[in-house]
Amino acid sequence: MKPMEPKMKTMGWLVRREYWEHKGMLLWVPLAIACAMLAFALAMAAMGHNAEIHMDMPEGKASGVTIVMGARQQQALADMAATTYPMVAAPLYIAMAFMVFSYCLGALYNERRDRSLLFWKSLPVSDTAAVLSKVALALLLIPLGIVVLELATALLITLVGLAVLAYKGTNVLPLLLVSPHFWLTPLKLVAVVPVYVLWALPTVGWLLMVSSWARSKVIVWAVGSPLLTAMLLSWANKAFSLGMNMEWLFSNVISRLLISVVPGSWFTIDALRHPVEHAGAVAENGPTAEVHGVVDALFNGSWSAVATPHLWLGAIAGALMIVAAIWLRRRREEG
Amino acid sequence: MNAIEQPVISARNLVKRYGKQTALDNTTFTIQPGRIVGLIGPNGSGKTTTLKAILGLCRFDGELTVLGMDPRRQRDALMNDVCFIADVAILPRWLKVREAIDFVAGVHPRFDRSKAERYLANTKLTPDMRVKAMSKGMIVQLHLALVMAIDAKLLVLDEPTLGLDILYRKQFYQNLLEDYFDENKTILITTHQIEEVEHILTDLLFIQDGRIALSASMDEIGERYTEVMVEPHQAAAANALQPMTQRTVFGKPVMLFDGVPRQQLQNLGELRTPSVADLFVASMKGSYQ
Repeated sequence: MKPMEPKMKTMGWLVRREYWEHKGMLLWVPLAIACAMLAFALAMAAMGHNAEIHMDMPEGKASGVTIVMGARQQQALADMAATTYPMVAAPLYIAMAFMVFSYCLGALYNERRDRSLLFWKSLPVSDTAAVLSKVALALLLIPLGIVVLELATALLITLVGLAVLAYKGTNVLPLLLVSPHFWLTPLKLVAVVPVYVLWALPTVGWLLMVSSWARSKVIVWAVGSPLLTAMLLSWANKAFSLGMNMEWLFSNVISRLLISVVPGSWFTIDALRHPVEHAGAVAENGPTAEVHGVVDALFNGSWSAVATPHLWLGAIAGALMIVAAIWLRRRREEG
Repeated sequence: MNAIEQPVISARNLVKRYGKQTALDNTTFTIQPGRIVGLIGPNGSGKTTTLKAILGLCRFDGELTVLGMDPRRQRDALMNDVCFIADVAILPRWLKVREAIDFVAGVHPRFDRSKAERYLANTKLTPDMRVKAMSKGMIVQLHLALVMAIDAKLLVLDEPTLGLDILYRKQFYQNLLEDYFDENKTILITTHQIEEVEHILTDLLFIQDGRIALSASMDEIGERYTEVMVEPHQAAAANALQPMTQRTVFGKPVMLFDGVPRQQLQNLGELRTPSVADLFVASMKGSYQ
């Protein structure tokens, strides 16, 4: 235990260092997006408070200037809100994918470009610790922070919606608060973060490796080289009738290097996607229970990703590329 | 301390090539503790490569021990006891004074925060100031504050005062001598501004084409080299003693002698110890030809 302590302390300071450097991107950009969504929701609520409301619900239609629902309808609405509200602020997850991508791209390149690498290297911090602190930020702290922010934003927007509904005569907030789904769904969302960590590892590893290796134009190397390779291969494939499975190459290599930082991109695996599509087809006109079915299928599908070779082979490749990034940072002589 | 002290740095036959260019060509030297050593050489002579080798920042062949460790394999441990300022501009632009101090205090076991803050109190730097808002001189002050607060055994300075005005330069070396240096520390400096460091150096290392051309303490320099302002009628006699160089000042030849006893020279004219700059120029003749 004792020898670990200073290492953990160093890791804490390394992560803080990353936060200082990228405060704008890590804090202010997501907060600005969240505030914009909230402001939009409030504006819609303010503008719409006299308007008619039309709701298509599994339990039938509701419309009019005032809305009076039966107990069963209210319960159904509360249940649906309880399972789906965490998705309300989903654009933040797209923003997160961009954040992780651009952060990794610059993580080991910027310090070489501004020559601060030599300053960091003048301190008793190993290359392994330095690179791992960047991995931890990209794969763990950014996703956890975004999940928390997204849940808070989604909750606020949902409350705005419910307030409008209450103004119209139907208050489902008490029902929402007693729904077990209301409390469980956020926990389930947090429980998907480990899946994300493992799934995004190849992209993060690839970007860090290029960031550590490229002398300039990191983005061209990171994005261009896999795409160019794919282009050449598919040309060779056609020209010489090699019979390679290009689709396989794209979905299992190229996309894993470039887009696995997008949360939920594991649903490109057919075996994971089909149950969700199936649940969706059933839910199309079905009762509220089937909406739960879709959400459950989404969560279950995410956790099932851990049982796929896709995830583990990608994670191993990602880990190896991170090792390469550390080695490159250690061996670099320029500057 | 025991009588036979371990050298701080011991280098034997260091070889480093960049492609066809040889940067280090069997470079061999030792540096004892408690010294301030000037590593001086023309551009491209291997100074920076030598420092990089010492700091574990490049690969090379040969034997090198720094504080008993091999910088190629034990770099992380070595950095507990070695500090360096490699260039003036390497603090990242986004860094705030406060953050710099917090970070170094967090990761360096030998950092004395109060010492850094005391030093910064005498400057115009404020805790919320970012590096990008600082002048070059202020950046060096911040860097020096960080480095001086670390109780390191070896401090390596690579052109630390490049681009600074004379006030900052004088202050830099004054702080280094008065507030930092003691008999347990060793400082290794490279610089082209020889005149400004020669009075603080205890030892000289001249490097030329990757080889050590001269390794001596300042006392030894004083004994070995003599500059003579030769009386015109003694010029022929002086030339017979084979001076290293000769220049003319106010119509009188000034000659630099290596290893000629002072008794032999005192009849020729006025004697003095040559400046390091003059000695350097004399030693490096033909460097760029």
